[in-house]
Amino acid sequence: MAPPYAGLRVIELSDDPGGDHIGRLLAEMGALVIKLEPPGGSPARAVGPFAGGVVGPETSLNFRFYNGDKQSVVADVATPAGLAVLHGLCADADIFISTLQPAALAAIGLDLEALRAANPWLIVLSVTAFGLTGPWADYKSSDLVALAAGGPLNSCGYDDHSIPPIRPGGNQGYHSAASFAHIGLLLALLERQRSGVGQLVDVSMHEACAVNIELANPYWFYPRINVQRQTCRHAQPSPTQSALFRSADDRYVYFALILSDPKAWASLVDWMEEKGMAADLADPAYADLAYRQAQFPEIQSLVECFFLIQTAEEAYHEGQAHGLPIGVLNAPEDLFEDEHLKARGFWVEVEEADGARVKYPGPSYVFSAFAAVPRRRAPMLGEHTDEVLARLSEAGS
Amino acid sequence: MGVGACATRLLADFGAQVIRIEDRNRLDMPRRLPIYKGEARTYGEEDANPDPNKGGLFNNYNRNKLGVTINMRDPRGRELADRLIAASSVVTENFAPGVMERWGLTYERLRALSPEVIYGRMSGFGHTGPHAEHRSYGPVVQAVSGLSHISGLPGEEPSGWGLSYMDNEAAFFNAAALMMAIYSRNTTGKGSEIDVSAVEAGINLLGPLLLDVSVNGRSTRGPDFPPGNRLEDPNAAPHGVYPCLGEDRWIAIAVFNDAEWLALRTAMGEPAWAAEARFASQTARYANQDELDSRMAGWTAGQDRFVLMHRLQAAGVRAGAVQTAEDLNETDPQIAHRGTFFEMDHPVIGEARFEGTPIRFSSVVQDNWRSAPLLGEDNGYVFQNLLGLTADEVETLTAEGVL
Repeated sequence: MAPPYAGLRVIELSDDPGGDHIGRLLAEMGALVIKLEPPGGSPARAVGPFAGGVVGPETSLNFRFYNGDKQSVVADVATPAGLAVLHGLCADADIFISTLQPAALAAIGLDLEALRAANPWLIVLSVTAFGLTGPWADYKSSDLVALAAGGPLNSCGYDDHSIPPIRPGGNQGYHSAASFAHIGLLLALLERQRSGVGQLVDVSMHEACAVNIELANPYWFYPRINVQRQTCRHAQPSPTQSALFRSADDRYVYFALILSDPKAWASLVDWMEEKGMAADLADPAYADLAYRQAQFPEIQSLVECFFLIQTAEEAYHEGQAHGLPIGVLNAPEDLFEDEHLKARGFWVEVEEADGARVKYPGPSYVFSAFAAVPRRRAPMLGEHTDEVLARLSEAGS
Repeated sequence: MGVGACATRLLADFGAQVIRIEDRNRLDMPRRLPIYKGEARTYGEEDANPDPNKGGLFNNYNRNKLGVTINMRDPRGRELADRLIAASSVVTENFAPGVMERWGLTYERLRALSPEVIYGRMSGFGHTGPHAEHRSYGPVVQAVSGLSHISGLPGEEPSGWGLSYMDNEAAFFNAAALMMAIYSRNTTGKGSEIDVSAVEAGINLLGPLLLDVSVNGRSTRGPDFPPGNRLEDPNAAPHGVYPCLGEDRWIAIAVFNDAEWLALRTAMGEPAWAAEARFASQTARYANQDELDSRMAGWTAGQDRFVLMHRLQAAGVRAGAVQTAEDLNETDPQIAHRGTFFEMDHPVIGEARFEGTPIRFSSVVQDNWRSAPLLGEDNGYVFQNLLGLTADEVETLTAEGVL
């Protein structure tokens, strides 16, 4: 069966990873996504890392990551001719993605409400730093600034609070905005199936971060406490024990020792006994929670030693075999060797324009009803300009 | 813990009738976690016998849903679950793999009960592969997918995440997958089984760094990685989080080009150090970040983080105070203007705040019709009105521990 977005035409005007990523999420599921780029190329093309370290618009891995399966059309929307192309393409499109903030829209004379009114079928998906309205609507952002002002950063960093909060890697502010953009778009698509009319969907990265801080919000809603950041584990109202353990091969595993769970305690002690590392932990006195709590520092030291004698991979799988929710801290390079991901056929190979075959992450979801859309390389700058503009002029004539 | 509830909350908020099935004898974790009004406890400090209707996290995740209880260890309970499935068009679960199968609830069985059903399966590792039965929750998914390793100061232990980011993100991926399947079924009439692995979703969120590894063979181990608050690509500088007035108060500042740097210099009042040649270009600033960061921290220290944020933004500099949940909820004028948070009453908890949806629609409307259901609150409505049992039958099943 055809993937869910087969037949949908999307026009993407994006100058940040949030807009690029939502476009990619639609292309991943079968939409035809036409990316409008200025003559010098999308800003994403100027951002590294670069393939082979060679800087250039066709070698940006940042661009490739977010723009697979799309088409590229050069149209300078800062000029009347370019803006006319945008309007022309929107006339038979289903979705228009824009990352422009209000002042930037006004500067090029693009009115999203008017665009929607002229194209009742069109869904206008605006994904901006702060949303299209409000006192901060034109404030400038970045991934770091979004995570700071939106709240996630306050929960991330080290136990030592003389060190500032530390940004979690990978553009997660922008990714949060794109996740909500996808949900907002789907709600608008479902509504259009019913009503036959599109609408304006206004997504704010700032708000997406503010509702993506997990326990920090309920801890404010209910006990009215601000959580305190801790090293690689949940920010909490008060300090808890470290959950990061170093292994024999100088890697880390994540394991939160919850003393109050008797089943997890028994599993841990069994496992440590098997390796001759339980010391006196099997002593019946430890069956009592209060005793375990009183001995916590000693227990924690024994567990630290226990992990230090095994490799991280070993600790991960053996701990899991004992029913404990333990995780190895993989580096990205470890993932390509992971037997589970290989068995699921997760990685996909993409042939780049220079003929290189490159491993990309596979689909984010597996459906029984439709096969994954084959992942194709990101377009070269303007690769589809002639084809798309020829079609546009035919439609206009 | 939160993935399934958070995913279906997005559907419940926008008009889907979501029926949450719970087990009276094995309370849902968010019902047990001690996030209560007036009590400052870490989430590990659970009550031995918690009031299942008092938990704030459960309220946060389960607004706008119906709640029923079923004992799946009793065959009569499993029969009622079958009847509920037959009356539904979407079924979701986020148990450990194998649990639904033990109850006979395979996709084939579900299709027999409800033709063209959508079966959303939300797990840590997906339903196939050698690690399918590994246990996970947010921090484990973040570890295994690489998200924790790539976050921290260079050469130090990773700082990773201070929240279950991947519980939320996996929920968003799952909600999107459910809606895609519904959108498709509306035109084709065909249902689907959906297998979302939170680890695979996490790998898709690693960003362009993953291609640096895949294409360039870059190693992310060693003394120079992760980059802390600095940005490798593009070479932004200054790009950091700097101290402000008060205890543990900070501001993030990000400068991507010379024009933004000149704006920052002006906003700082043109200090002599900022005019030095070693800070004159983006390349030079990037190369001299240790000195630059220490100068920046010297300038921000002692300043109010909000006053500074607005001053820098007015000058065209990207800056954001590091906000706490309190700041977001009580003083952030943008959040207030957009109406991100809202309030509803709850019979046990009283008035409570909720996270809304960070989207404004011109016509879709969010329907906030109730706070989270009390344990088994809707057994009467669902089993009588939807499934056609009599009040006596519901009473007997309750007395006999089936509901």
